[in-house]
Amino acid sequence: MKKSLLLSAAIAVASTAATAETLRIPHELGYGGSESIDPISPQRFYEAIQNVYSRLVRQGDDGRPSADLALSWEATPDAKEWTFKLRPGVTFHNGNEFTAEDVAFSLMRTQSETIDSPTKGVMEIIDHVEVVDPLTAKVVLKQTHADFPLLVMDYRIKMLDAETCGGDLDALCESGVGTGPFQLTGYDPLGTTTLDRFDNYYGGAAGVEKMELIAIADQDARVAALQAGQIDFIYALSAEQVPLFKNNPNFTVQSVPTGRWVGLVMNTTLEPFNDPRVRKAIRMTADRDALGKLVYGKDGFITSCDHPVWSGDQYRAEIECPRDIEGAKALLAEAGYPNGLTVELFVSDISEGAVKMAEVLQNQAKDAGITIELVQAPSDGYWGDVWMKEAFFATGWSQRPADQILNEAYRSTAAWNETAWNSADFDAGLDAARGELDFDKRKALYGNLQKELWENGGSFIPVHLNTVRAFSSKLGGIQPVEDFSIRYEDVTKSGSGS
Amino acid sequence: MIALIFRRFGFAAFTIAFVSVVMFAAVEALPGNVCTSFLQRFAQGPRLERCIEQQGLDRPALVRYGEWVAGAAKGDFGYSLKKRKPINELIWERFRNTALLGGIAALLAIPLAIFLGIVAGVRRDRPADLTLSSAAMLAMTIPEFVTATALIYIFAVTLQWFPAVTIVSPGASLAQMLPNIVLPVIVLSAVLVAHIMRMMRASVIDVMASDYVQMARLKGVPERQIIRKHVVPNAMIPALNVIALTIAWLLAGVVVVEKVFNYPGLGTLMIQAIYDRDLPMVQAIALIFSVIYVGVNLLADLAALALDPRLRRKGH
Repeated sequence: MKKSLLLSAAIAVASTAATAETLRIPHELGYGGSESIDPISPQRFYEAIQNVYSRLVRQGDDGRPSADLALSWEATPDAKEWTFKLRPGVTFHNGNEFTAEDVAFSLMRTQSETIDSPTKGVMEIIDHVEVVDPLTAKVVLKQTHADFPLLVMDYRIKMLDAETCGGDLDALCESGVGTGPFQLTGYDPLGTTTLDRFDNYYGGAAGVEKMELIAIADQDARVAALQAGQIDFIYALSAEQVPLFKNNPNFTVQSVPTGRWVGLVMNTTLEPFNDPRVRKAIRMTADRDALGKLVYGKDGFITSCDHPVWSGDQYRAEIECPRDIEGAKALLAEAGYPNGLTVELFVSDISEGAVKMAEVLQNQAKDAGITIELVQAPSDGYWGDVWMKEAFFATGWSQRPADQILNEAYRSTAAWNETAWNSADFDAGLDAARGELDFDKRKALYGNLQKELWENGGSFIPVHLNTVRAFSSKLGGIQPVEDFSIRYEDVTKSGSGS
Repeated sequence: MIALIFRRFGFAAFTIAFVSVVMFAAVEALPGNVCTSFLQRFAQGPRLERCIEQQGLDRPALVRYGEWVAGAAKGDFGYSLKKRKPINELIWERFRNTALLGGIAALLAIPLAIFLGIVAGVRRDRPADLTLSSAAMLAMTIPEFVTATALIYIFAVTLQWFPAVTIVSPGASLAQMLPNIVLPVIVLSAVLVAHIMRMMRASVIDVMASDYVQMARLKGVPERQIIRKHVVPNAMIPALNVIALTIAWLLAGVVVVEKVFNYPGLGTLMIQAIYDRDLPMVQAIALIFSVIYVGVNLLADLAALALDPRLRRKGH
């Protein structure tokens, strides 16, 4: 009896040893199987590049840039020349040494017309990169940017091996050779892509021996696969899917703030929204906490005061924006609407919760005498026919760092300036922040811009959305950080069974 | 007789042509065009121009329709916006997988359903019939996504006998596909069997009550022989149409079942294409589905002609 118990235990250990060390995460097939292992490709294979390559700079726990392949960096006083000191003794998966040549190659290729990378617009700020010595690279910018390290912290700006890529700045590099914690062993974006632990990783060997990136396009199927133990992890659970894992001891559920937002936009040049008092009155009627709970559920959001900078960003301003019906009424009366006003709001099922959010605001605004008439627009053609065409409409944005979202959505010349925000002072403020090398002063400058948006802006941004993930309780070391910042090299997998 | 068959073929061809016009017109009627619909807020500047050029949207609709139909007839369905590849490179393996799933389900379900229908019809109102008929009602009323979810919960999550979702690489062999299709085939077959069996049962009961069966009984022909020689062939004719309709239903069912099981077939490809607003891909798959639908119905018509001499004589 004892013997057979021992024996079966031994068999159990032997049969699980092979699988227990493999971390299986889903690949969401965002590009339908034509994913590229080149990190700057328009069809980047995000789940793979995240683990195969590394960046010069990564996001620290405080949201600020921290050392990765670059150990330190400094700028000239005009913030136009940035010198990066590189980590010595780093090798690529194929044994090549990582040097400043690779930095120059990896940064300059982002500007290629042929590759047409989504990073091109931002990285065009680079004029050229000088290789000072093998472990020092100097990046010369076309214009001042005090936060240049933030730009190279982007999850797509990874360091490639110039030699393996053939040194051609205009060609996609699909060798899959990086300096990251895992090396690519099998590339199959429609099936299972396999990664092996890279033993010479400069941050120490990863917690699991192998990773499998398993292609499952459908979220319901991913849920079933996690329940059946075919994968260990899923991203972005919907509110309805959370209860499937919440009280189950086999799974851990983690809710994490992100910078994604869904909002309503008032065009600041069109009647009646060309009066900042009307804009603010409408925004003041909102009870943001109640709205968030109704639309996204109790754990689904973090409230915001119409500033697009999210809670995890180092530059987020702390603003109070309680519901103020009397204040809203007073502003309306001042603006010439003592008996309230009626506005049309165009909504469509374009982003999670957009229609519901409009309905909640419609109800909340009633108390201040504001009648919002909802116009349901078809989601087909919404971005061409309604967005930035009507006076009051719904929008949605993915996460961006403070500098980027403020420039993309509120600079007077920006292509996606959806509120038609046209303020020379604001533009000057954006430039000033980019030129300010002192962190605290820069933070104050970005803070002022956000307060200006709360006082006078045309965006209604009640909340930033959380993302909820679920994973097997056998996994350890998954920090409650946004998806792009998960360090899979720190993840461990324990226990028996597959 | 030959003329009759030709007429059926002609009618089928006309139906497909009509469907292709409707599908093309529906896409044209959407606000914007294929490119603005796909690119959404990125529909501006060089990216939009490149897309318009690649899809040939700068030419009149009639010309594009003509090219689309001519291409489709040769198996060239154009270029997928999302996958940036010619569509015909993407669909044939998916088509094979769907055909495998649907084919196995049909091959298992149809003979089984006919057999069970005969049993139920012959043993009308006896325990065997009552059990089979109630089971059929149950299978018909529960939607297939519910059956699928229940099976996943029992056999994949709890017992772990079969995978919950299909995880295979493109180019997977049939042997690799097989363990993955057990649950989907059961779900699809359950509904197929239920529909066909009920029709077969009703049909058998009708024939059993007919004069010629009564006559055969009076002449003392053994019951087994009556069933084999007189009842089954005659009961098959009305059942054939139901079989054709049910196989056509299979196309819709397969979309749902593929989605639940993450099965790499045409159904999941179509759902993904709709989600991505990849309209050329949606058009291509919709056209393939309509060809299959019309083809199955054509086959049923021809089979009915073969089985029933009366249809041929009347010159339908």
